[in-house]
Amino acid sequence: MMHCTMDDLLALRAGEASVWARRHVEDCAACRAELDSLYQRVAQLKALPALRPPRDRWPVVRDTARVERTRRRRTWSRWGLAAAAALVGILLVPQFGKRGELRAELSQAKDQSATLEDQLQNYDVDGRVLTGRMAARVAELEDLIAVVDGDLARWGAIKPQAQDAELVKLWQQRVDLMRQLVNVRVSSARYVGL
Amino acid sequence: MTVAFAVPDVLVARAQAGDEAALEALFRAFETPVYNLARRMLRNAEDAEDVLQETFLEVVKSIRFYRGEGYLWGWIRRIAATKALMRIRRDQLRATEPLDEEHGKAGMHVGANIDLERAFERLTDTSRAVVWLHDVEGYTHEEISELMGKSVSFSKSQLARAHARLRGMLGEGAGEGEGAHA
Repeated sequence: MMHCTMDDLLALRAGEASVWARRHVEDCAACRAELDSLYQRVAQLKALPALRPPRDRWPVVRDTARVERTRRRRTWSRWGLAAAAALVGILLVPQFGKRGELRAELSQAKDQSATLEDQLQNYDVDGRVLTGRMAARVAELEDLIAVVDGDLARWGAIKPQAQDAELVKLWQQRVDLMRQLVNVRVSSARYVGL
Repeated sequence: MTVAFAVPDVLVARAQAGDEAALEALFRAFETPVYNLARRMLRNAEDAEDVLQETFLEVVKSIRFYRGEGYLWGWIRRIAATKALMRIRRDQLRATEPLDEEHGKAGMHVGANIDLERAFERLTDTSRAVVWLHDVEGYTHEEISELMGKSVSFSKSQLARAHARLRGMLGEGAGEGEGAHA
């Protein structure tokens, strides 16, 4: 005698069984017992005790969220800074004729900085999980970058034509810090395996 | 596990405005159901903890987009289930484990009565996820198939195979005839 398959039993539970299965289960004690067992298993699964997290993860969530908020704000301010730098560059191009080498270095540093910004976006698009230590390092690096950005804004505002060497130095510092930040993000991505 | 409490609208509104105390209150309210869901779906506790963390980072980031459609728990649970399934997919890619192969197959047909919880843990990651989402959390096969990026029939067949395995591991229905209840 053929009995209900597990598919039949699950369909019976869902009220989607075939006519044959519905009739069969009325006549077959073994299949009725199987259906009861299925109901009991599901009831037991639902009654399993709730498992509680062994550690408090809120501090990590909170700190990471704070870093993310700060980063987003700084990203916007960096866009502003980049726009200001571009404007200064346009205004000063005629005066920089004799300083081609420094200008090339400056341009290179800015390009590298922009490339690193793009890389950072790729590694950080959805607020990946960071350990507390990584989150602290990210915050530290972002603070340092903010300081350099502040210096860049100040140098751009005063005697711009005399500051090529200093600007190159600051942009190179920025590139170095951005590299470190990208490295932390790469390590973080490896840590979560994505 | 049934999560049957409502969250006051004012708390959600404060969380949406970025109030850290309100966000922590939501975390405290849902950390256990989220962890429990992840822990039941995943094989180890550390992965479940990571899912808990990832889920609430997403909640903190995206709660301003929550418009109050359905229960907040339903919204959070969907995020958690998605994160857990992503982790299962990643682990399967790493291990090249076929989706339909039962974990620890050699030891499955012991015939002895073992604890349901232990038997459940011995299912494959995919089967466990389907059973938990369907039978305990109440997801439909359509919803599961959407979450998993698979067909409805895949979800149904995973559920049937999982229950057949559970039945075998629990030593139920011994001595049935051909074609019975498998």
